[in-house]
Amino acid sequence: MTTAGVWHPVALSASIEPGSSAGTHIDGKEFVVWRDNSGAPHVWEDRCPHRGMKLSFGFVRGDHIACLYHGWQYDTAGQCRYIPAHPELDVPGSIRVPVFQTVEAAGMIWVATEPTESAPPAPQEAGETVSVRSVFFGAAIDAVLAAIETTPSRPFSDEAAASVLRQIDGRLYALTVGNDRLLLGLHSLSGERTALHVVIAGPAARYAGKGQAHFLAWTAELRHRIETQPAAAVAA
Amino acid sequence: MAGIVLYNYELDENCYKVRLALSMLGLKWEPIAVNAFPGNEQTTPPFLAMNPLGTLPILKDGDLTLFGAEAILAHLARANDAAGKWLPAEGADFAGVMQWLVFSAGALAVAGEARRNSLFDTPGDGEALQASAGKLLRIMDDHMIARGYEGLDWFAAGHPTIADIALFPAFALSRDFGIDHDEYAGLRRWGRRVRSLPGFVTMPGIPDYY
Repeated sequence: MTTAGVWHPVALSASIEPGSSAGTHIDGKEFVVWRDNSGAPHVWEDRCPHRGMKLSFGFVRGDHIACLYHGWQYDTAGQCRYIPAHPELDVPGSIRVPVFQTVEAAGMIWVATEPTESAPPAPQEAGETVSVRSVFFGAAIDAVLAAIETTPSRPFSDEAAASVLRQIDGRLYALTVGNDRLLLGLHSLSGERTALHVVIAGPAARYAGKGQAHFLAWTAELRHRIETQPAAAVAA
Repeated sequence: MAGIVLYNYELDENCYKVRLALSMLGLKWEPIAVNAFPGNEQTTPPFLAMNPLGTLPILKDGDLTLFGAEAILAHLARANDAAGKWLPAEGADFAGVMQWLVFSAGALAVAGEARRNSLFDTPGDGEALQASAGKLLRIMDDHMIARGYEGLDWFAAGHPTIADIALFPAFALSRDFGIDHDEYAGLRRWGRRVRSLPGFVTMPGIPDYY
């Protein structure tokens, strides 16, 4: 599967707190997702140029992320700014981590893994969102989409209604159930592992608490279905 | 012997539960180092006399000798925390603490097995142990995601309890048995809050910086 020109959702915005980081994969490649203390998200190659340690094991200080091994610190452009073993050193510009264009939309963090010039516009989705969770499956994206179609969610706001899945843009889908609307980010971790980032399109006043728990139960049902059915049956 | 003595092995996650509790409760204690690896000293007669299961940790507190990390945590909390925060006395908070302590000492023990298999090459099917441990961490993550909807940061109550102490090592040390924290957003959030508690200490395998 080619990833050219695709915006990938890598996390729920709410899952990456300011001053924290987490590792992830896109089609088998390792990335670190981190948020600096001012709140801006960053998605980089998950590898310190010094010894190859995962930067997602490291720690965030202000607008720098530091490697756990030897404390090398990188600014928000991926440029190494400080090497503790050589505090007086003016760090060469060549010590740099590959960084990728990153935006927040639909309550999720998105990354374009191609060079910025060729990246298409990021997914657009206005309006308030309430995050549910990221859920992980040992299945490819197509099998997960098929399982979503065959595992309808019950609406939170109505008694019963049909559930309709529609692609909005690339990896962003909408699942409409009655008066409720979920936004789904499909994230290919590898050819056989998929993350589904789930948010509710709507106001916290209506959905915070019980509404979130309602759709959390649906994600558990979906996961159970994928894990207990043969892959062929889910995709059929 | 007066005072609190812990028969301790620095790399044992169950000993770490007790060291965390002792530190968070602000207690004075003495460690006695046990050669658990490679010596297996805890399975020799002097230790079996204190704990016939041949496991660590073992705690002595005055005349009391106690084994099993979760029982030790309950004793330390009841004996030293008059406010009953760490081990609530009744109601849903008490019930929740008991549920997660039993989970920790029972089902979640497989995480310790996976870790020992990975680090010390103890017997077992490494892949199967890792998969079982991953599913248990997922149960914990699902729980903490749902707690977050109610604005709750801790496993069993509106404040930290010994359940949080008992559950922390399996998550914090999961990289020792090949499970990264990528897929556990609820536990990452909770883990950062555990780390910020007064008296928090690390052990080998848990970074000082985060």
